[in-house]
Amino acid sequence: MIEIRFHGRGGQGAVVASELLAQAAFLDGKQPQSFPFFGVERRGAPVTAYCRVDDRPVGLRTSITAPDAVVVLDPGLLATEPVADGLKPNGILLVNSPRPPQALIAPAGVRRASVDATRIALAHNLGTPMLPIVNTAVLGALARATGVVSLEGLTRAVGQFVPARPEENRLAARDGYLGVTVLPGDASAPAPPPRARPPPLVLPEGPIASVSSETLHTAAWRTFTPVIHLDRCTKCNFCWKFCPDDAIEFDAKGYPQIRLAYCKGCGICAAECPPKTIEMVAEA
Amino acid sequence: MAKLTIPAQELMYGGHAACPGCGPALAMRLLLKGLGPRTLVSIPACCWTVIATPYPTTALKVAVLDNAIESTGASISGLRAAADALGLDKVNIVGFAGDGGTADIGLQALSGMLERRTDAIYVMYDNEAYMNTGIQRSGATPWGAWTTTTPVAGDLRGKPEPKKDVMGIVLAHRPAYAATLNPAFPEDFNQKVEKARDIVGPRFFHIFTPCPPGWKFDSAQTIALGRLATDTGVFPLYEVVEGRLRITRKTGQLKPVAEYLSAQGRFRHLTPDDVTLIQAQVRSDWERLQKREREDLSLAH
Repeated sequence: MIEIRFHGRGGQGAVVASELLAQAAFLDGKQPQSFPFFGVERRGAPVTAYCRVDDRPVGLRTSITAPDAVVVLDPGLLATEPVADGLKPNGILLVNSPRPPQALIAPAGVRRASVDATRIALAHNLGTPMLPIVNTAVLGALARATGVVSLEGLTRAVGQFVPARPEENRLAARDGYLGVTVLPGDASAPAPPPRARPPPLVLPEGPIASVSSETLHTAAWRTFTPVIHLDRCTKCNFCWKFCPDDAIEFDAKGYPQIRLAYCKGCGICAAECPPKTIEMVAEA
Repeated sequence: MAKLTIPAQELMYGGHAACPGCGPALAMRLLLKGLGPRTLVSIPACCWTVIATPYPTTALKVAVLDNAIESTGASISGLRAAADALGLDKVNIVGFAGDGGTADIGLQALSGMLERRTDAIYVMYDNEAYMNTGIQRSGATPWGAWTTTTPVAGDLRGKPEPKKDVMGIVLAHRPAYAATLNPAFPEDFNQKVEKARDIVGPRFFHIFTPCPPGWKFDSAQTIALGRLATDTGVFPLYEVVEGRLRITRKTGQLKPVAEYLSAQGRFRHLTPDDVTLIQAQVRSDWERLQKREREDLSLAH
């Protein structure tokens, strides 16, 4: 049995990618299974989905904690989500990134792979620069890197189950298949640095929840960050007035500043600022 | 700090689980600014039940009662009875429900609460579909809008039925106060909240709350789209105090409704004939509203 875990953001197509992989495996004659993690299904929020592929019916119904392969649809998640957790020593970490796989940090023995699925998706007019639909390109890369499905099965699955732009998605899968770079596993690779985990929440006693949602940070949802050019700020407070995330506060001089832990990067403040002093800058 | 045009107090935390650019999130933030900390909010199944309470946290600095989707009206009648029994003085009781939980599933409980003359504020935040479960049409979804259950394919052209007039149903109950609110106009929004706060009896807010993923527009445009809804006459701003209607934002000349429709992916498939039809409906609704205002004015005192 091969177990694959997908990491993406809400709206990017991670859940659909997992389902499409299962459909492709089925067309190859395998017995697949696919389901998402039931969490905050919001645009931009980290999303996880699971896929198992076997020659026999899969009875296991648990989430995947020791995957053979991990697929990351958004390289921004590498910094905020423990994507490589539990990866098997000879497993594979496939990341959508323009950078070569040498730049990825992975546990010892894990094979690293990267594919520039964003470039492929945009070349085939799939999604927008803000929200490229990268899943078919990534699945093409996964087919090549793992052999879990054939390119032919994947192509047929795209034709049968992708309602929008099937031809463009088919070409994106092919380009992902051809464009992936895979490194052999390096048993002597240094272990990745331990990840700082947030302290455990202390639950209140009694029936009333009193833990503030500000213990949850939503910075990882963001793909663009507002930057305020204070030299042109007129202190009109429009940014503060219209912020749906209570992510704007005032400094001692009355200038607005962004509470970056809670800003989701929606861009309302930049759009509504009368003198246009707020710029949305792509996250590195 | 420059002078603020709405209250400074923040009774909603950051870190909540709303989508980027969420209209309902801004609606709650502005509502609580006007109501203040002595407020109890009852939230049924809707986007906000997920926004407010990712276990074990809460996004509100006021007490929240999580209730079932059909029960918002009944729950605030119960909360008021409990507050009275406990002798709680000067406390705002608020039901905060989506359009599906109001126009469809919770309609009888809303009617019951209004008819019992419960001293409470019922809020319908209207994102015009069941958004939390993934964009299924509701009674408040407008004619022609794409949703996952009113698809656009072949002969199917989005929702074939018109939007339910919930305000008309509410006004038939003769509430103490009823108003339409739009977070794109925070000062008007806040004036209505503060006015309603000090009125005793059943009160109703219909709040217009754009939904970027459900309506298919860029999250930065939530406010701009809200302004367009009012300035095209799609969502006029008015209040009804003791049966008398007053329009609170007068737009000399309505903008073409096409400006509002073309800004959203859910209306992308509409033909020029469809747009003409919607324009005619919006114009006649707007004229009817102005006529009612004139008549109510001539009746006043």
